[in-house]
Amino acid sequence: MTASPAGLWRRFRRWWRPPRTLKTTRVGRTYLVLTLGVGFGALNTGNNLLYLLLGLLLSLIVLSGVLSERALRDLRVRRLGADGAHAGEPFPFRWAVSRSRGTAFALALSEDSHELTGQGMVAYLEPGAELVVRGDLTAARRGPHRLTGVRVTTTFPFGLFAKTRVFDLEGLLLVYPRRGYACEDPAAAEGGPAGDAGDPRKGDGSGDLLGLRELKPLEDARRIHWKKSAAAGKLLRVEREREERRTYLLRLDDRLPPELLDRHCEELATVSRRLLLDGHEVGLQSGATRLRPGAGPGQLRRILRALAWAGYRTDRHDEEAAA
Amino acid sequence: MNAGARRRLRLVCRDGAAGAAFASMASSGQLPLWAVGAFFAGLVLALLDRRVLAARAGLTTGFLLFSAVGLGFLVVSGAFDAVVAAGAFAGLVAVQRMLSQLSPAADGQVHLTSLLMIAGGAALSGDIWFAGWLVLFAGLGCFSLGLGVLEQAAPEGAELPLKPLVRQLSLGAALALAGAAVFFIAFPRMSWNLASRRGGASLFGAVSGIADAVRMDGPGTIKRNPRVVARVQLDPDPGTDALDAYWVARTFDTFDGQQWVGSGAPANPPLMQVHLGRYQRPLVHQQIELLPAYGARSLVGLDSPVLLANATLHAPSGSARVSLEEVPGQEVRFTEPGASYTYHAYSPTPQVVRRTQDPPDPSTDLTLPESLDPRVPALARQVAGDARDPAEAARRLQQYLRANYQYTLDLNQAGDPLADFLFERRAGHCEHFATAMAVMLRSLGYPARVAGGFYGGERVGAQYVLRAADAHAWSQVLVPGRGFVSVDATPEDGRGGQPPALFAFLTEQLERLEELWRRSVVDYSMLDQVELARALVSPPRSEGAASPGWVPDAKALAASAAVALGVYALLRRRRAAARAPRPPRAVTEASRFLDAIERRLRSARIRYRDGEQLEELAVRLSAGRHPFGAALNRAARRYLEARFGGRPLDPAERAVLLAALDRAVQ
Repeated sequence: MTASPAGLWRRFRRWWRPPRTLKTTRVGRTYLVLTLGVGFGALNTGNNLLYLLLGLLLSLIVLSGVLSERALRDLRVRRLGADGAHAGEPFPFRWAVSRSRGTAFALALSEDSHELTGQGMVAYLEPGAELVVRGDLTAARRGPHRLTGVRVTTTFPFGLFAKTRVFDLEGLLLVYPRRGYACEDPAAAEGGPAGDAGDPRKGDGSGDLLGLRELKPLEDARRIHWKKSAAAGKLLRVEREREERRTYLLRLDDRLPPELLDRHCEELATVSRRLLLDGHEVGLQSGATRLRPGAGPGQLRRILRALAWAGYRTDRHDEEAAA
Repeated sequence: MNAGARRRLRLVCRDGAAGAAFASMASSGQLPLWAVGAFFAGLVLALLDRRVLAARAGLTTGFLLFSAVGLGFLVVSGAFDAVVAAGAFAGLVAVQRMLSQLSPAADGQVHLTSLLMIAGGAALSGDIWFAGWLVLFAGLGCFSLGLGVLEQAAPEGAELPLKPLVRQLSLGAALALAGAAVFFIAFPRMSWNLASRRGGASLFGAVSGIADAVRMDGPGTIKRNPRVVARVQLDPDPGTDALDAYWVARTFDTFDGQQWVGSGAPANPPLMQVHLGRYQRPLVHQQIELLPAYGARSLVGLDSPVLLANATLHAPSGSARVSLEEVPGQEVRFTEPGASYTYHAYSPTPQVVRRTQDPPDPSTDLTLPESLDPRVPALARQVAGDARDPAEAARRLQQYLRANYQYTLDLNQAGDPLADFLFERRAGHCEHFATAMAVMLRSLGYPARVAGGFYGGERVGAQYVLRAADAHAWSQVLVPGRGFVSVDATPEDGRGGQPPALFAFLTEQLERLEELWRRSVVDYSMLDQVELARALVSPPRSEGAASPGWVPDAKALAASAAVALGVYALLRRRRAAARAPRPPRAVTEASRFLDAIERRLRSARIRYRDGEQLEELAVRLSAGRHPFGAALNRAARRYLEARFGGRPLDPAERAVLLAALDRAVQ
C-alpha cells in the first residue's frame, strides 16, 4: 500500500513535531525582558540581592514549565464533534477531556488546524471525571476539513507562557456552505405532486376554511363535514386553504472554478433552505450525483452535505466518518 | 469559591505583592517620606477595594508625567539618587494602576511595576528584611498570577474549588524560592561584589549616644536598647563569647559642673591614616564596621588604639574612601558624613605596657568647675589617704565608689548632679561614676578626664557586635610614662547593656539571622563559590588523619544508605498511593449522603438496633408511623440506589431529601 504525498507529509510533520510547544504571552515577553535587565544589573554591579532576585525570576520560569507540564500530563481527549457547522460563522464544537490522576487548571482545547479557529476552555479538571468542553469554532471555508489532532494549551500557572500538547486524533469535519442571501430565484418548479394533493389550486390543505362543496367520487371521505351534510341532505366536504407545495430540482455545476463554485454552493444552500422552509420539495443534481427531491430538515441536511462535498474528492469512507 | 470572592482574593494578592515590593525599598530608609505616604495610602484604598482613580485616568496620568519630569530634574541636579527616584516613581505608577479601572492590562502593569520595585529594593537595601519582603512578594505574586490565569479560563460566575489550586501554587512558590537559593549559590560570579551597597540610612535613626557632650542629667535609656551599632572582626581572634573590653570613641576634658565637653580642635590636615603615638607589637587588628544606628563620626577602637586607617564611607549613593582628622587627645573622626563606615584599627594587646610621652600641657585635665562642692575634694582626700601616685589614688577611689555607691538608671533632676550623686542619692549611672572619679582625681592634683565609648562585645558568628546598650563612660588618669590609663569606677553589673530579657533574646536571634544573611548572601562572592566547590570535591580533612583508602568512610556510607532508603520509601509510598483503588465518585457521594442522614438520626435520638441496617430501620420507623419514617424511607432507598445501583445522586436531590429529614426532626 502506498501513501499519498500529502499523507507522507502529514506523517513527517507529526514525527518532526516536538512533544510540547511553548509560546510566550504578552506579559511573559515583558517578564523575560525584565529578567534580562535584572540579570544584566546583577552581572554589572555584582549586587548579590540582584542575583537572588534573578534566581527567583529564573526559577519561576522553570517552575512555570514544570507546573504546566503537570497540567498537560495524564490527559485523555475525545472529539465529540459538531452538530452542524457553517463556514464563516461560529459553531459549537465539543470535546470530552479527562485525566487519570492529579488536577489540571486553565486548559484551552482547539483543533490542530489553521482553518479552524476558536477554542473551548476548562478552568478546573478533577481526576477521574470526564468533562465535556464546548468551544465556538469558526471555519473559513466550506467542505471537508481533515482533523489531525486536538491541541490542549495551558497558561497555568502564571500566564507567562502558553504550553501546548497535541493529541493525535484523526477525524473529519464537514463544513456546510456559508449562510447568506441568494441573488436569483430558483428555476421553475419541475411540477406539482400527483394525485389528490397534486393540484395546487385544490383546497385540500390544512389551513384556513375556504368553503364547502359536494363530495366527488373517489375523494377522501375523511373530509366530509357530517353536520352540514346532514342538514343539506347530501355529502359535503370541507375545503381548506393549502400552501403551495412544489418540487424543485436545483442544479450545481461542480466544474466551476473554486471561488465561483463556493459562491454557487452558498446560493444553492440559501435557496434550498428557503424553499424547504416554505414547504416545497427540493432535490439536487450535481454532475453524476442526484439527490432525490424531498422535504423537511432531513432533506436540508442532505443537500447541505452534498453542497459541502462539491468540488472535493470524496469517498464513501470519508462520508461515513463525517456523518 | 465563587467568582466574586476569587476576584477579590486575586486583587488582594496582587496589591499585597506590590506592597511587599515597595516595602523592600522603603525599609532601606532612603525613599522620600511623601512617596512612602502616597504609596501606603493608595495600598490601603486598594485593599479596601476603592478604585478611586477609575474615573480620573487622564488626570492621574498627567500627574505621573509631571512626577517623572520632576524626579528626573532632581536626579540631574544631584538632589536625588537615580535608583531612589526610579523606585519612588515605580511606586506612584503602581498606586495609580492599583486604584484604576480593573482590567488584565492594569493587572499586568501592577505586576511589572512590582517587579521593578523589588529590583529597586535589592539595589537599595542589604538588610535581612529584604529576604522577608522577597518571600512575601514571591508568594503573593504567584497566587495573584495563578488566580488570574484561572479566572480567564473559568466561565462567568462559575464556582471552583480553591484548595487544589492553593496546594499547587504553594508548592510552586516554595519550589521557586528553593530554586532561587540554588541558582544564587551556583550562578558563577563574574565580579568580586565590590559594587554592592551596604545598608542605607536606618529607618529608626541613630541611637548610640556618642555625642559631643556628656550630660550628667541625661537619661540612661540607652542601656536598654539592644540595637547593634558596630561589628568588629578581631585578629587574633580571642575566641570568647563575650569580651571584657573598653572601646573608646572620644574623651572629654572640660567639666562645667553639668556636662563634659571636649576643648580641642583638629591639629593636622585630614589624612588617610592616623597614628596615635608609638606602639609595640603585638597588636590587635580590628576590622570595624560602624552601622547606621551608630550615628556619629568618631572612630571607635579597642582602648587605646594606636593606628586608624583605610576608612570607607557607605552612603545611599555608593561607597568611597574617606579621610580622617584627629583632634589631639580627644578623638579621630571621619571628615564626611555617611550612613555607615568601615575601617581598620590597631590597638596594643592588654599584656603590653604602653610607653608614651606625657602631654605637654595637662592643665586642662586638672581644671575643676568653679561651683564644685567643697565636700568633693574633702572626700577625695579622705579616700585617697596617703596614696603617692595617680594609679594608686585611682585604685583606692575606684574601690570606694564601687563599694559604696549603687548603679541605677532611675534618675531625677538635681542642681548639682555630682554632689547629689556623691552625698545625697548615692546611686547613678556610668557617667556619674566616671565624673566622680575624674573630678576627685583632679581635686587631688592628678590630670584626669572622661572617656566615652562602649564596654563589652558579644560574639555572633565570626564577629563581635557592639550594641547601643553597651555605650559606656569611664575615667582616664594620666600616669607619667604611660599616658592616660583607663579606670572604671562603675560597678561591674552596670557596665554592660541592660536590655529587657525577651527583647534582648529576640534581638540576638535577629542579629544571628542578620549575620548569617550578610555572610551567606550579601557578602557571598566568587571566593565563597570556589571554597564551596573545593569543599564539595574534597571535604576538609583534619591533620594527622589517615590517607584516603579505597574503602569509603563509614559515616558517608551510612548517610548515603539512609538517603537512599528514604528516597526508596518515598517512591514506594507514592506508587502505592497512585495504585490504591479509589472509590468511584458516585460511591463517595453516596457515603457522604449516608453520613448526613446518620447525623440527623443522631440528632433525633434514633438508634439502630443490633445488626439493623438503614433500610430495615426505615421500614421499622414507617411501620411504627414514626414522623421520621416516610422521609427516611425515601432517603434510604435513594442512598441504596446511589451506592449500589449506579444511579448518581444529584446535589439538588440530595438537598431535597435532607431537607425533608430536617423537617421531620423539627
